[in-house]
Amino acid sequence: MSETHTITLVTEDGKEERFACPDDVDILAAADAAEITIPAVCRKGTCGSCRGRCKQGDYELRSFSDGVLSEADRERDEVLLCQTFPKGPLTIEVPVDHAQLVAGPAPEFTCQVVANEALGGAVRRLSLKALPDEAGTLNSSFEPGQFMELQIPGTEATRAYSLANAPNWEGELEFLIRLQPSGLFSSWLDEKANPGDTLRSRGPKGRFTIKEGSLAPRRFVAGGTGVAPMLSMLRQMSEFQETHDTRLYFGLNTEEEIFAMSELDELAASLPNLSVEVCIWRPGPDWQGFSGSPVDALREDLVSDLAKGTVPEVYLCGPPGMVNAALATIDEVGLPYENVFSERFVAN
Amino acid sequence: MYCYQCEQTTRKDGLLGCSQGPGNCGKTEETSDLQDLLIHALKGIAQYDKRARDLGAGDDEAAAFILYGMFTTLTNVNFNPSRFLHLLKQASEVRDRVKSGYERAAAAKGAEVETLSGPATWEIPTEPASLQAQAAIAGILTGADDVGEDVIGLRALVLYGAKGVAAYAYHALMLEQESGEVYAGIEDALDFLAGEPRDVDALVGKALGLGTLNLKVMEMLDAGNTGKFGTPEPSAARISHVPGKAILVSGHDLADLAALLQATAGTGINVYTHGEMLPAHSYPELKKHDHLVGNFGGAWQDQQKEFATFPGPILMTSNCIIEPAPSYKKSIFTAGPVGWPGLRHIENHDFSTLIKAAQAMPGFTDEPEKQEITIGFGREAVLGVADKVIEAVKSGAIKHFFLVGGCDGAVSGRNYYSDFVEQTPKDTVVMTLGCAKYRFNKMDHGDIGGIPRLLDIGQCNDSYSAVQIALALADAFECDVNDLPLSLIISWFEQKAAAVLLTLLSLGITGVRLGPTLPAFITPTVLQMLVDNFDIKANTEAADDIAFALAG
Repeated sequence: MSETHTITLVTEDGKEERFACPDDVDILAAADAAEITIPAVCRKGTCGSCRGRCKQGDYELRSFSDGVLSEADRERDEVLLCQTFPKGPLTIEVPVDHAQLVAGPAPEFTCQVVANEALGGAVRRLSLKALPDEAGTLNSSFEPGQFMELQIPGTEATRAYSLANAPNWEGELEFLIRLQPSGLFSSWLDEKANPGDTLRSRGPKGRFTIKEGSLAPRRFVAGGTGVAPMLSMLRQMSEFQETHDTRLYFGLNTEEEIFAMSELDELAASLPNLSVEVCIWRPGPDWQGFSGSPVDALREDLVSDLAKGTVPEVYLCGPPGMVNAALATIDEVGLPYENVFSERFVAN
Repeated sequence: MYCYQCEQTTRKDGLLGCSQGPGNCGKTEETSDLQDLLIHALKGIAQYDKRARDLGAGDDEAAAFILYGMFTTLTNVNFNPSRFLHLLKQASEVRDRVKSGYERAAAAKGAEVETLSGPATWEIPTEPASLQAQAAIAGILTGADDVGEDVIGLRALVLYGAKGVAAYAYHALMLEQESGEVYAGIEDALDFLAGEPRDVDALVGKALGLGTLNLKVMEMLDAGNTGKFGTPEPSAARISHVPGKAILVSGHDLADLAALLQATAGTGINVYTHGEMLPAHSYPELKKHDHLVGNFGGAWQDQQKEFATFPGPILMTSNCIIEPAPSYKKSIFTAGPVGWPGLRHIENHDFSTLIKAAQAMPGFTDEPEKQEITIGFGREAVLGVADKVIEAVKSGAIKHFFLVGGCDGAVSGRNYYSDFVEQTPKDTVVMTLGCAKYRFNKMDHGDIGGIPRLLDIGQCNDSYSAVQIALALADAFECDVNDLPLSLIISWFEQKAAAVLLTLLSLGITGVRLGPTLPAFITPTVLQMLVDNFDIKANTEAADDIAFALAG
């Protein structure tokens, strides 16, 4: 016989939501049953979307991909809710506002391919336009930093990609996608996707969003296409004419991988306090810029920031290895954890 | 931070004021400090421009910047620290310009250039951390140990009164009404404060002077509104929705609404008013637009609940914004002095994104039974039937007038106003203005010989109309305003109301009942002075206060 326990979710805005969860059901599934919407994508411990921090109670954390939760995360009792099974009453902090928990699932809508362009470095810019529903409503609004799940046409499979453009009311959605050899979405994108094609989308999702109302300097650390959500944030900052001291560390393996430079140049021109550092891990002999990882570049600046008494906010997006290395660095140099916002992306 | 400028300020365990962020309005310590520093910087501009103006070389653009800057610091107007960084940078540039202008004017006239001190010479940092470190120079309590709480409270009264006057003057400016006399008056008040005044009589005199100035400002605002939109007339305002895409407009700025009505003409989008925009439905040049379909919701403090159910974008044109709930955060836009971090701000009446949002959002799909209320009893409408009113008073059909108006708010004590209006005898007339009316304007109050018992004069901005009605009645009855069978029951919340109160006092109007609680910056000594000179009263129980009014 399974035993049922009370789960208390504590939201970012300090409210609580309770529901029952049997000990053989994961927290995410029990929340779904109680019509409580916790942001989640893969539901199998590989994407890291459904993170929470267990404040109180016993639980079993089942399998999850390497890098999705670091050792430091586990020391703070961070969990993936899709892999967490209660052994008693649990109190879990979730990084969402209460209104989001009870707002119902993210909307689904149909999009049309507008453009599919090579940006360099095997990266494509996929431009979609959300189509209005039968009532004439567009359901595609999002915040910078959020992502959408796109269904691969002709399959049931979905892939999650961050939006790279600024929020808009025209239904325009822009994604930066690196083609992965034999990747399902990559194959469709490379071989089939043509303007006018349609696909289903669900979202927005994700809580990797900008901390609004803060005047602290902003440091964005991107690995590869992890630059996409940062482009969205920077584009909105540009539209809002925000003057924060801002740096973007854009990490790539080789010069050949460089992409989206014209977009970044445009942003640097419209945001006078933005500097962009392209960091090449294995540069060729002619590379004049920063050699090393974006985390190396961040470390240098963080140390000098903190020495001056400047306490920036750091946004991290990239592969788990980069994010975990950045978190370790941040811990080492002594930047408070609440100043760090991160998202890891994991290949399916 | 330390802030006690509004009615909802912390009053706990004998301590007054919000001294920890966020304040009760939701403003962070950082924003509160930056607002104080902006006021400090504006004082510096005023110090130079007052002197330039005395030499005939006032910089009206700088004065307009002062109005805007002051307005951003009113309660529930601008919460965006980034905006205040911009404004402080701009203030530094404006002050440099005004200083040069003053020096040039003095040289041209052969006048001696005064060496100024205080805010005039403050080196305004650009870095947030450096600004924050200097917050203490501009705090409202600065100097309290030296001058005592009464002087601090009176300085606050002058400052908050000046903020209210500046906000109304900004509204008038948006309607193309400006006056050198008003600019001079506001600059004079800020220059006075920059000198850290400590003489109680001088402080009281300056506060009342601002009241007089505010009457002029409200007259300009009235002229702006009626000049552009015609004379308000009794009108039915729909309070139920109709099917179709929709935009909701809140705040007070009728110029923004007029521009939006033009921009949305022919788009099929319906425009709804919220809160203090309700009187729009009584102006001929606004109500002529068929797509200005109705009024939605109630007073400002219910916006989180009401905006969440509105199926289109929302435009907030002036006070009063409170923290947007996540459900409508993406679809609320700000304009003019308003700001909230992360919200899109509309400049120069460019409503293109707002219109796209309305087209993208669902709009209303159903049509509930039509409901209407009657509004639009501005001074022309009331005085147009003055004969009838005077006759009704003489015949005894109307025994008494109450003006129950001002701001609404969230505190439970505000049900006093609905209790009050509900309990007024049937042979009395209630005039109202401001958003406090939402507590009783949807009830049926009946009429007296065809004169509705509830007369909605308009916005808080229409206080001028109320004053004119009172003065005209006094004239008709050949008596002093204070001898009229009229009681003023004023509900205050923020600094516009402080300015209106000063206007009433400057007109010598006595016996005003002020609530729901008295301002925290009015110290017991100052209150006694107001009681002695103006017979100001605090609310007790509605029934007792009605009985008191009728007995007098």
